[in-house]
Amino acid sequence: MVDIGLFTQIVINGLLLGGIYITIGVGFSLAFGVLEVVDFAVGEYVMVGAFMGAVLAPVFGAEGIFVIPIVLVVFFLAGSLIQPLIHHVTTGDRPHPLLMGLVFTFGLATFLRGSVLTIFGPNNQDVPSSLLTGGVTVPGVGTFPVVRTVTAVFGVTGLLVFMYYLYRTRGGMAIRAIAEDRTNARLMGININRYQSIAYGAYAALTGSAGVFIGMIFTANPGMGLQYTAFAFFMVVLAGMGYLPGVILAGIVLGLTQSFTAVYISGNLVLLVLFAIIYVVLLVSPAGILGKGEWAT
Amino acid sequence: MTSLSGDLRFGGEVTQRGYDLWADTVNDEKGGIEVGGETYEVEVEYADAQSSPSTGADAASEMIEDGADAILGPYSSNVTLAVCPIMEQNSMPHITGSAESPQIWQEGFEYSFGTIPTVSIIGNEATSALLNLEPQPDSVYVTAVNEPFSVATGESMRDAAEEAGVTVENYEEFPRDADYTNVVSAAQDVDPDLHLHGGHIGSHVDLISASEQLGYNPDGFLMHYGVNTGSYKDGADDQAPYTFGATVWIPSVDRSGGVLFDSPQAYADASESEYDTAPDYTQAGSTAAGIVFQEAFKELGSAPPLSQDDKDELIGILEEIDVNTFYGDVAFETEGEYYHNNINTQTLLIQLGEDGSPAIVGPEDAATDEANYPVPAWDER
Repeated sequence: MVDIGLFTQIVINGLLLGGIYITIGVGFSLAFGVLEVVDFAVGEYVMVGAFMGAVLAPVFGAEGIFVIPIVLVVFFLAGSLIQPLIHHVTTGDRPHPLLMGLVFTFGLATFLRGSVLTIFGPNNQDVPSSLLTGGVTVPGVGTFPVVRTVTAVFGVTGLLVFMYYLYRTRGGMAIRAIAEDRTNARLMGININRYQSIAYGAYAALTGSAGVFIGMIFTANPGMGLQYTAFAFFMVVLAGMGYLPGVILAGIVLGLTQSFTAVYISGNLVLLVLFAIIYVVLLVSPAGILGKGEWAT
Repeated sequence: MTSLSGDLRFGGEVTQRGYDLWADTVNDEKGGIEVGGETYEVEVEYADAQSSPSTGADAASEMIEDGADAILGPYSSNVTLAVCPIMEQNSMPHITGSAESPQIWQEGFEYSFGTIPTVSIIGNEATSALLNLEPQPDSVYVTAVNEPFSVATGESMRDAAEEAGVTVENYEEFPRDADYTNVVSAAQDVDPDLHLHGGHIGSHVDLISASEQLGYNPDGFLMHYGVNTGSYKDGADDQAPYTFGATVWIPSVDRSGGVLFDSPQAYADASESEYDTAPDYTQAGSTAAGIVFQEAFKELGSAPPLSQDDKDELIGILEEIDVNTFYGDVAFETEGEYYHNNINTQTLLIQLGEDGSPAIVGPEDAATDEANYPVPAWDER
């Protein structure tokens, strides 16, 4: 006999966990779709964002959420500066541009992780928040942890803003043109470097901000990045490579699968089930659950 | 040997401080170890196990090839389980100050010893002490991260509850990267009196954070290992107070001193002065491991480098040794499931106060403070 109270709570947990994944998956999917970069540093952006939250929150009245605007700006600028380097190693006459991008971002990830470990040490760091504590209990439904709910709203809002920018503005049209055909876009007078920098900066800003939220939900730790890199890969495979709207469905599927497996099957089998789903999707629908992404090759 | 890089670097640094503090103190205060009327300065050379069992095993082989006389470390049960067979194959005396899985001692390694009691004892005794607090709990929920040390901890907690006739509502293992809201929701659904958890510090922080977010309020959380470390207090921050933990040593414990350090507090002061950090029982156990080797070398009376006969004789001395230290009396079991483990050191149930400092609240004969139990609900803190 299924306990309805527990069941609805697991649904809530799964959806909000999916919200966390969405905040990471949106930028990652954008970076792949527009820049054709599989960014191995995505998890480390999350980690650095979390540490920025831990360091700066005490300056802003021990309130992590007030750090978000600063992180958005800092990561946007940093991303805009990093993108030309990625562009440099993935274009020209270099062989295997995708591999070159992977190697570059892997090195970047190692550098970021090592730097944070050296500066802050291996300890966990709290990202404090007095506004986003506890949970709101809805009778007959369940408890909504405030910080997770806000994170999910942030992720979905970020996704909608990106989609609006991509599909309703001239800048977004330019980015889509670059994604479609870089050479023709250049011939049409689009400043490729500028728009690619904007896209990568936006991805970095969203991912770094996701790190602050994740730091508030869990904690900041130099070793946390790899886990989120793995989940970002899961997200784009399920969503369809580069297909932004699929990110919401992918996040929900990942979150709910994790929650239901943990409670109704076994906590030990969560990763096994997730990997099984990824393999099945790759075999049956390489363009993602909705079949609208690029083929995973 | 210890882990100076990788995921276990935090614990590795703790053990390194323990070994270094022993070596520095014995060199500064006594000029080294006196053997046969002559004093030899202690030199500790480190190999980095990089938090990996296979790298640890390779590092152990290299140290032996390089002519080590005896080996201290490594950190963590996983790495120790990989290193002990190498010590065995090479007949190398080895004491670890920081491995707690019972599996290490059940293997019956002849050349390996450990100063910290196995977690099957620590977890069991701390749980028993907690179950004796008033009002006595009727039910517990037990969780553990799925790796050897944490599973051994969780199982020892579960066994202690069953031995005490307390209902174990559930025993659940899950991977470290699991999302803890699901763990908490499942526990919250059965509303246990206590939640007992085996894991390392990061998992404690995640569990306590998810509990606060979902308003999960058992009468207390008991977690092992490391609730009195800076990493737990920094990570859990406002949520850290009132957490129960297990240890075999803290600076305020009432134990007589002995070789090198006059008292637990004297040791803590030396650590503060040298490293600007308070020691935990892992650091203390590591220093005690050095002291045990120091006393065994003295008794052996052979000058370094040691021959294989010397090393074999050293093992015999270690089996017979009984050293009084700031950490407690150290003597190793010579048979049974705790073979070559020091199980003499008393387990302490501790609880973090509102300022995050630990107080000994059990067992009754060792308690220095009264437990704050049942702990306040999240919205009452």
